[in-house]
Amino acid sequence: MSRADVTLTIDGKEVTVPAGTLIIRAAERLGVEIPRFCDHPYLEPAGACRQCYVQIEGQPKLATSCTVAVAPGMAVTTQHTNPSVAGAQRANLEFLLLNHPLDCPICDRGGECPLQDQALAYGPGDTRFREAKRVFPKPVPMSPLVNLDRERCVLCARCTRFCDEISGDRFLELFGRGAGERVGVSAGEDLRSPFSGNTVQICPVGALTATPYRFVARPFDLAGGDSVCGHCSVGCNVRVDVRRGEVVRVLARENSEVNDAWICDKGRFAFRTVDAPERIVTPLIRDHGLEPASFGEVLTWVADRCRASRVAFLAGGRLTDEDAYALSKLARTVIGTNDLDHRRGLDGGLAEEIAAATPMAVTAKDLESATLIVVLGLDAEQEVPVLHLRLRKAAARGAKIVVVTARRTRLHDVAEHVLIAPARLAAALRAAASGSHTTGDPMLDFVMGAVGASGADGVVLAGEQLGPAAGDAAHIARAAGARFAYVTRRGGDRGALRAGVHPRLLPGGRRFAVAAERAEVEAVWGPVMATDPGRDATGILHACADRQIDVLFVVGADPLRDFPDAAVARRALQNVATVVVVGTEVGDLAPFAGAFLPAAPAIERDGHLTTWEGRSQRLRPARTASGLSRPDWEIMAGLAIALGGDLGFETLEELHAEMAGLLAPRRIVEREPPPTPGPFAGPDLELFTYPLLVDEGRLSAGADELKAALQDPAVAEVHPETAAACGLIDGAKGLLRTNAGSAALPVRVTEHVAPGTVFVPFNQPGLAANTLLAGGFTEPAAIEPAAVPVTTGSGP
Amino acid sequence: MTDALEPRLTRNWGDPSAVGVDGYVAAGGYEALHEAVGMAPADVIETVKASGLRGRGGAGFPTGMKWGFVPTDTGKPTYVVVNFDESEPGTCNNRELVEREPHRLLEGTAIAALAIGCQAAFIYVRGEYLWQSMVLERAIEEAYEKGFLGADVCRSGARIDIVLHRGAGAYICGEETALLNSLEGLRGQPRLRPPFPAVEGLYASPTVINNVETLMNVPDIIARGADWFRSVGTEKSPGTKMVTISGKVERPGNYEVALGTPFRAVLEDLAGGVLRGRPLKAWTPGGSSTPMLTADHVDVGLDYESLAAAGSMLGTAAIMVMDETDCVVDCAARMVEFYAHESCGKCTPCREGSWWATRVLERIEGGHGREEDLPLMGEMGNNILFKAFCALADGTASVINSSLLHFADEFDEHVRLGRCPLKVVHAEVLA
Repeated sequence: MSRADVTLTIDGKEVTVPAGTLIIRAAERLGVEIPRFCDHPYLEPAGACRQCYVQIEGQPKLATSCTVAVAPGMAVTTQHTNPSVAGAQRANLEFLLLNHPLDCPICDRGGECPLQDQALAYGPGDTRFREAKRVFPKPVPMSPLVNLDRERCVLCARCTRFCDEISGDRFLELFGRGAGERVGVSAGEDLRSPFSGNTVQICPVGALTATPYRFVARPFDLAGGDSVCGHCSVGCNVRVDVRRGEVVRVLARENSEVNDAWICDKGRFAFRTVDAPERIVTPLIRDHGLEPASFGEVLTWVADRCRASRVAFLAGGRLTDEDAYALSKLARTVIGTNDLDHRRGLDGGLAEEIAAATPMAVTAKDLESATLIVVLGLDAEQEVPVLHLRLRKAAARGAKIVVVTARRTRLHDVAEHVLIAPARLAAALRAAASGSHTTGDPMLDFVMGAVGASGADGVVLAGEQLGPAAGDAAHIARAAGARFAYVTRRGGDRGALRAGVHPRLLPGGRRFAVAAERAEVEAVWGPVMATDPGRDATGILHACADRQIDVLFVVGADPLRDFPDAAVARRALQNVATVVVVGTEVGDLAPFAGAFLPAAPAIERDGHLTTWEGRSQRLRPARTASGLSRPDWEIMAGLAIALGGDLGFETLEELHAEMAGLLAPRRIVEREPPPTPGPFAGPDLELFTYPLLVDEGRLSAGADELKAALQDPAVAEVHPETAAACGLIDGAKGLLRTNAGSAALPVRVTEHVAPGTVFVPFNQPGLAANTLLAGGFTEPAAIEPAAVPVTTGSGP
Repeated sequence: MTDALEPRLTRNWGDPSAVGVDGYVAAGGYEALHEAVGMAPADVIETVKASGLRGRGGAGFPTGMKWGFVPTDTGKPTYVVVNFDESEPGTCNNRELVEREPHRLLEGTAIAALAIGCQAAFIYVRGEYLWQSMVLERAIEEAYEKGFLGADVCRSGARIDIVLHRGAGAYICGEETALLNSLEGLRGQPRLRPPFPAVEGLYASPTVINNVETLMNVPDIIARGADWFRSVGTEKSPGTKMVTISGKVERPGNYEVALGTPFRAVLEDLAGGVLRGRPLKAWTPGGSSTPMLTADHVDVGLDYESLAAAGSMLGTAAIMVMDETDCVVDCAARMVEFYAHESCGKCTPCREGSWWATRVLERIEGGHGREEDLPLMGEMGNNILFKAFCALADGTASVINSSLLHFADEFDEHVRLGRCPLKVVHAEVLA
């Protein structure tokens, strides 16, 4: 027992808790249930609903256990042992139910409703209320996703406090007073927050409901299971609810290490893709068209084409750790190629090695105790939303946060932003990494100085927007002694890096080119057959286009949509002899696919996903795999057998045993700093792009309400200086040109992008940005006002 | 005994020039401030402590002690906030005090600021008090011109600014933490305590919140001393108190009396007795939120202790007198309706309880009472009392509980007759 611990009794039972603990939390430790509505462990105490009365010995009035901290020797009695407490709670429930419509039989919450449950357990059996209840029009849409049935609301203010304290998206507010008090949004506004669904989940009654689930199911008809969200690399713990085999709802599960009690709206509402009509659950083989076939037929067909051929693998971001590992081993040992990559034209250099070798170097919890967090090239809200919430929490606990990007993020109210064009940022980071005394930019010099001064209390988070400069960021952090994490965006990225779905990195971040590191892998795998260094995604697609590759495996990926050069991706698919698609659907690849192998999505899987921290989390199937679909790793293992090889594992347990050895944390030895920097300069106008949270990505397919609530159409954002220089007007169309292509887009003039840049979202309706790119996510560009068509009869 | 009282807060009320700075200074105003700038802050606090001055806003907390709680070494600024959100039904003495002598408030505020090292004080004015705001604005302007406020208070080098802020018309904003929220631009709802305002008040900084009348007592305490202050009133409730008497009396209005003066003296000597000499039926000693008393309590002294012993509270000393033509059920319904209207909505017992109670009381008064309504009201009062987030709801409960305690028969009669038994009497009176 430390000095800061406090011992008290609750209903006569002794409990010792840290000083400052609320009585209601101490009771939870003892398993003593105290009813509550407004209290939520991740929100500040409110004391609003008055349901959680307890008696504290020596105090004349009852106390609300959600607002009072424990004190040494305190003797607390609850409704279980104290009739006056039970009476007060019963009276309070009577008050709460006065105006409650008691429409439980048609309410989405019925059956899992805290008000229903607690009224049953602690409330009066009947009402003495004989007057007319309050009525309101219903439902009132707060947004296309969230509806409010005001009559059911008990005004606990959980939703408004969530918006205020957690997401910072202050759209929900209390209006009016007294019995007329009500939750609402200001006239003309929506609850436009990528975290809005959390307000529905924490509503202790059925007042807030989510459009996709409204009147869809009764909770007692739901099956399902605990899973991990694969939409991004945060790895939020979720529960997936299934009704008659169809996924109908995703809820957050509490895990204070990962996601507290929150998930983003994409994780919550973008689940229909697994039941989409495009989903294919049988193997297909090309025979005139793509025709259904057996697994055996297809595997044999594919194996025949792989023999003595030049084979390459492109993987996407949805693979589990096991899938990635099996793919890496298949490619390198059975097929014998280093041409495999899970990235799309990105190369994080040293950052990737660190990410692959050293799990948990920085955790989400670590951020809460950091004094300085420098976020480089990452729009956390859009790329890894629940990490954004963790950063806000860190800021609230006193961390200084500096975001260095080309576009302002929604951390703007809690963080300093330094807006700088990507090429200039890359040059500056290279300069800092190479030990130069100045980065070329005084603001960045200041930031680098702060990183140096903070040492181990500082954290550097590098995002994918940095491109190759992520490696330089890693050098800078190592030199300063600051902690470093490379925050890749997609749910499977970190697992794929660890497994070595990468042309130069073998499992555990071991470099193929370094014999000693390669030998560690060969000790387990046997010989790595390929001797040539591998091609990355760009190299693979160019080689396909040049007919230097015969068989291209596309595993959970769509190069046409994801690769930042649409033209090359198309040529590659057209020119490669055989395309084998492994995934949940064929989609746009149908014209090119020679064979299709149906993979099971994460919610139908047992396995692991690795978070951006390097935390490997177990998935459990929420339902059985649909049709003939099966885990990717089993497909890889089957293919190995069809090729006459053997991956050496037939069960998950065998696979895990092998992975555990190779993927144990490794120390990365000191590396030479990069060579002397080039000039601090960039193109006159630099196009940059990254995906926004809700876009045209396949994983959001069918999430119509989510898109109605949060999806923005494509725009080109430019700084006012750029707009003035190029003659652009806010709201009018601009013609954007690069060496790769051109597009006419509405222009948004905003100070929230760096001067000298133009931002377009990667994949919003109205523009596939990869038609403007040539292999990277930035590109020199020009923009001018789009020609306005002259209408007949106008002019002088 | 009231005619022997030497008026204090009201001594210049006969002089119309006291509203201006020259008239106030001619009558000895701002001498206490001149004295206070030369004193150590701790001595100012000690003097106020020694005087035994207690908060006049209702709770009666010792003022000097409140000032003494304010830490001055936190590195944060400290603030004085004047609670001029006078909203308790029946209360209007702050209004007249300010209308007649606004500089006394500014002087008291400035002395409080000196005592806690505050450079910026705020006066939160009830939204409906437009005229009083204008009077105060003018006075603040004059005080700046004369150097009683601003960068160099009384040439001492001390800086004190006073900012006037008008509320938007909400009773709850008289609750000190709701007032702070409102002052910060947030919803006027009370805050959790702890932290108390003395530690984390306005803008999370140490803050003293005092009522208008409280601060207006301070200049005399500094100028004339704690013993002088204690020379009237009782041992535990020293000094004078502004009393607002209204309702069925011959001469309603604001009167200054020594604390401890029996209600009978105020009613008969000052207010001229019950209107038209009719018998007294009920009275509230401190605004509608304090439990009603009856004709049996006319000799109770108007001070914190005596009223507590009688089962009520001094509150704001707003006496509302009801005579035998007044229906207690009707009065209770209207008072409870006020609290239902003014409930901020934050917590359940207040929001729902006052709403429900209003409906039941109106039903009884309207002749649709049921037998079970009386025990229901009794339970409801207790289910509200001391259960809510702040003290607003206790006002609701006071009305319900005290009217049932003293006038249960009248409730019964309403239910039994199926109408208000006094409606006939009203008709006779009006004829």
